[in-house]
Amino acid sequence: MTWQGLELVAWGIPWTLAVTAGAFLLGAALGVPLCAMHVSRSRVLHGLAVALIVALRSIPPIVWLFLLYFGVGSGYLKVGAVQAAVVALGLITAANMAEIYRGALRSIHPGQWDAAQALGLPVRSELVDVIVPQVFRVTLPSAATYIIGLLKDSAIASTIGVAEITYLANFLSRKQFNESLTIFAFAGMLYILISLPLAALARLADGRLRARVAQ
Amino acid sequence: MVRQAGAETIVKVSGLGKFFGAHKVLDGVDFGMGVGEVLAIIGPSGSGKSTLLRCLNQLEPHSEGVIDICGSRIAADAPLSRRDLNELRRRAGMVFQSFNLFPHMSVLRNVSLPQERVLGRKRAEADERSRALLDRVGLGAKADQYPARCSGGQQQRIAIARALALDPKIMLFDEPTSALDPEIGLEVLAVMQELAEGGMTMIVVTHEMHFAETVSDRVLLMAEGKILEEGPSVEVMRNPKTPRAQRFLQAVMNR
Ligand SMILES: Nc1ncnc2c1ncn2[C@@H]1O[C@H](COP(=O)(O)OP(=O)(O)O)[C@@H](O)[C@H]1O
Ligand SMILES: [Mg+2]
Repeated sequence: MTWQGLELVAWGIPWTLAVTAGAFLLGAALGVPLCAMHVSRSRVLHGLAVALIVALRSIPPIVWLFLLYFGVGSGYLKVGAVQAAVVALGLITAANMAEIYRGALRSIHPGQWDAAQALGLPVRSELVDVIVPQVFRVTLPSAATYIIGLLKDSAIASTIGVAEITYLANFLSRKQFNESLTIFAFAGMLYILISLPLAALARLADGRLRARVAQ
Repeated sequence: MVRQAGAETIVKVSGLGKFFGAHKVLDGVDFGMGVGEVLAIIGPSGSGKSTLLRCLNQLEPHSEGVIDICGSRIAADAPLSRRDLNELRRRAGMVFQSFNLFPHMSVLRNVSLPQERVLGRKRAEADERSRALLDRVGLGAKADQYPARCSGGQQQRIAIARALALDPKIMLFDEPTSALDPEIGLEVLAVMQELAEGGMTMIVVTHEMHFAETVSDRVLLMAEGKILEEGPSVEVMRNPKTPRAQRFLQAVMNR
């Protein structure tokens, strides 16, 4: 495999990162209202959230992707490949993040709500100052694990022509049959190289937060 | 200790009832208390003591009756708006069995944040007040640590300082020493006794019979959601009238 080959596959890194980050940000944001609906007292909102979460989690990511890109995208709406990948993975992420938030919310001692309310804190402060920072802390390790999974899932964007790592590796291996092993091994190594600092960063952040409260 | 029972009433509860589903946990509770009074509530567990306290600051909305507290009138069918609720809660501080400090904030932040958010105090002003209160409960040195590094007794004293920082008119204590070893509980009781001597109006749900008898002016003895006996502390504790109250006091006194 030539340097040019390596370079070509490495050009996929920005797109892999963009799809992963875009989908995660979208999902982390949409997960908040979805979780709020799930824990809401309204039966309708709760039911809707449960249905959405089940649908988003049961259908394979690649089917969502095709549904958006070929289904919705070919009809009324023009959807680009990158947008389709970000939205498809982002929606699935929203369902998973909603469940992660909900678990974290349940792990908050009920006395925290009691104390915030007994002090007469405004609702906004109760959430922003008291509950959310604690939920965030509990969420951090699961979110980090999820991002690493998402990074790998972003490879399905290659199926609709997003020029990320897997797409370029595939493209190159078709031109250089006998090099396929090296090319895909290199692609795999790139995924490892991206995951490692992500995992380290998450551990560092988690450790920092823990160390701070133990002061 | 006999205090001048203030002419001014600060709490008046009439016909208070509370259901959890079909289960009636408070039934026809009536009592009142004056400014500066210290009222102890005792009784077997499950008798509704916590629920009564939580109805007073509306952590639990009640199902029947009227509560007059610190100038707010709360009828079961006319709950307060969130705004009035927060005003009531500012005037009625609460201390919990499980402390409930905010674990992600330093001790100082725990005490200062509510002052900023509820009273609109500036950070510097709030911190100054917090440090004074932490000194008063003997924990000035802990201001910059996090709650996890404090013992249970220290956490409870911090929780008391946090509530006092909002200048409440009345303090509600729900078994403040039950989660603590007896010796550690004493340091919390000492702070509470000092508060009582300073004239704070207090309702204390407690299993500390010595505290109930010596620090409080009056005792309410509850069982099965009702007030069984009520009167001056020594009288209720030494000469209970009903057999149920006699049994309870016998059991706790011999412990
Ligand atoms: N949130 C709740 N939901 C349902 N039942 C409750 C709730 N809180 C308390 N109870 C019930 O109400 C009764 C009184 O409880 P509580 O006020 O905690 O008693 P105490 O503080 O005297 O031990 C108990 O039977 C308890 O199981
Ligand atoms: Mg209780």
